[in-house]
Amino acid sequence: MVWASVISGGKTMVVVIPLLIAAFLIAGLVQSLITNDLATRWLGSSSGWCGIAITCMAGGPYVYYPIAAVLLHAGAGLGVMVAFITAKNLWSLSRLPLEIALLGTHLTFVRVIVTLFLPPLLGILAEALFGKQVESIRKAMVV
Amino acid sequence: MIIATATLWAVALGLVMYAWQLGDGSLVHGIEGGWGIMRRTILLLIIAFLIVGFVNVLSLQDLVQKWIGPQSGWQGLILGEGIGMLLPGGPYVVFPLIASLYQAGAGLGPAVALITSWAVLGSVSVTFELPFMGWRFTAVRWGLGLLAPLLTGLLALLLFR
Repeated sequence: MVWASVISGGKTMVVVIPLLIAAFLIAGLVQSLITNDLATRWLGSSSGWCGIAITCMAGGPYVYYPIAAVLLHAGAGLGVMVAFITAKNLWSLSRLPLEIALLGTHLTFVRVIVTLFLPPLLGILAEALFGKQVESIRKAMVV
Repeated sequence: MIIATATLWAVALGLVMYAWQLGDGSLVHGIEGGWGIMRRTILLLIIAFLIVGFVNVLSLQDLVQKWIGPQSGWQGLILGEGIGMLLPGGPYVVFPLIASLYQAGAGLGPAVALITSWAVLGSVSVTFELPFMGWRFTAVRWGLGLLAPLLTGLLALLLFR
């Protein structure tokens, strides 16, 4: 029983391994290209909003959480930041190929479509319910 | 699957070419980065595929369909949300697990609720959010996020039956 499971899991893994190696390679390269090339240009502030936009679109949590922290600290509204983080949690360019590959086009398509309304909805709710407490929320940040 | 693998390799090779012609060490750095991610995920991946194996062999179809199948209604959505919250690790680990549940007969609504829950409420996002955004912000976003899996799962059921 246990062996049958190991073999069955192993078979699935062997099929998925070539795909996973490509996915790891993409993740590593995107990370490296962004930290070396785009992020330095962005920090040098010669590329402005375009650089921030590209960094935000492609980057993982280690990229967008620091950006979000800086923005909230600098005075961005609560609703905007809740919408931004929810959107980044839900949709990631570097995660999309993997999701399509493993879960199929139908499930991925449905998931993306039905989550479109979430970032604005949660943002509006956050602003309406807790927008006035944004100062105490900023104070709770460690930055 | 073959098309997906080929597409991913095409993207990967494109990035390799781009990094190579930059000639500033991005290529080596990127390959090292990818290797690092693989080393950090490999143990979780093996565990994930063991679970996938168990789901296949134990023929959990009946169980999966009963609890989070297409006819499971609210119970399926709530369970999907609960499972999604608890799933450990990043997409490399979580997507194979969800795929095996989906193939074993999980419904579209619960599957969508599960993925949404993992993305919005899961441990990965929260572990980054707490140190960077503070506990108050995390509490507000996570608390409101509790609605997300149920709403999206319901919408998936209504729109894409």
